[in-house]
Amino acid sequence: MIDNKTKEVVMQYAAKIVAEGMNGKGDRIAMRTKDGFCVNDASAALDTLKEEDLIELPLDTDDKDFAVIAKLFSKRPEIHALLYTHAPFVCAVARAKATIPAVLDDMTQIVGLNCKTCKSATTDDLVKGLRKRNSVLVPGGGALTVGRTMDEAYTCALVLDKASHAYVCGSVIGGNKIINCIEAKLMNFIYQKKYSKVNQENISKREGE
Amino acid sequence: MAWTKEEELRLRKVIKDSGVNLLKENLVQGTWGNTAVRLDEDHMLVTPTGLDYVALQPEDMPVVQISDTSVWSNGKKPTSERKIHAAIMSDRPEINATIHSHPVWCSVLASARIELPVMSDEMQKLVGGPARVGAYGLPGTKTLKEGTVAAMKGRNACFMANHGVFCAGRDMDEAFEIIRVMEKSCREYIKQCTLKITGQLEYSDELLFDYFVSKYGK
Repeated sequence: MIDNKTKEVVMQYAAKIVAEGMNGKGDRIAMRTKDGFCVNDASAALDTLKEEDLIELPLDTDDKDFAVIAKLFSKRPEIHALLYTHAPFVCAVARAKATIPAVLDDMTQIVGLNCKTCKSATTDDLVKGLRKRNSVLVPGGGALTVGRTMDEAYTCALVLDKASHAYVCGSVIGGNKIINCIEAKLMNFIYQKKYSKVNQENISKREGE
Repeated sequence: MAWTKEEELRLRKVIKDSGVNLLKENLVQGTWGNTAVRLDEDHMLVTPTGLDYVALQPEDMPVVQISDTSVWSNGKKPTSERKIHAAIMSDRPEINATIHSHPVWCSVLASARIELPVMSDEMQKLVGGPARVGAYGLPGTKTLKEGTVAAMKGRNACFMANHGVFCAGRDMDEAFEIIRVMEKSCREYIKQCTLKITGQLEYSDELLFDYFVSKYGK
């Protein structure tokens, strides 16, 4: 059974995604629960989402529509929330099947050293694309983002959208200058292990996890 | 202490509201970005490190000594970027409020490390000329601080390479006007560049996307 706090958080962030214009066809919003995970039903769009559209599935579900989510929650215990969204600039990069390099330092901190468009939308490719990263692009689709809290997964989607703007627009105004790999790794480490730790613990309590 | 308790309470609320307004106006994401207001010639209030703006309370804002930012009191641990706020306030006595943030369109130019030409009379009036790009440095470093101070000479805004934007005003309202005009001007600059490179007369995001996919698509 999905508790009221989880439903409240999911509904709140679904509304935020819609307000930011990051929603599209096939969006998913999922949050870990005591018995598995809570997710919007495959036919339920975020802009018309109701609490009764939320379903709970076990981590060993054999439902193909939710196989990626189940596998990610199983493989990465630190992940408590997952989003699949369709911000227009992100979709442009996914359409180009490109990799967003380290264009902004907040991207390196929360998203990872880069964000790849994976080879295909299969579960294995998506899980592989998310290795050591909090986001991956689906070719011809949108972005999968994950977080220790729903707030972090949502912030990751926002920052990825901003990095997509920088990467796409940068190609028009003269090209991006990329942050070097060692500095990007350092910022990612400090953010994940130190800077965001207290904040994420506070948010986790607020989200009732 | 050269300020009254009432003034400090008012300014604590100004800082709290500035963080919430950055979020409301979509000028920041998550916990990134920080603001400061001057209390007197050697003290300022800044936002704390790593906490989200909604949860922050006015009493959380620490008082930081401008001449030695390792000295702070009466609040939570200050942002690691306090040295930049302090350096600008120290260098520019007329500045009483500063904003460092990462809005979307400003971040594009920061990432490309491109100077923004004057796009309007409003930008000239508020920013004081083309907005330069400060040298790249890791957050909290001397390189980032010195690069920002140099790029701010004679200006009220500059880009921080691959990082964001820094704005300074006589008060927080003016600092907000500056960050808004910077964001608007960056957007306009990108539109103009898109039209120039594609040879089209009317801008749309689709035009930009099609150009991007045709040039970088696999």
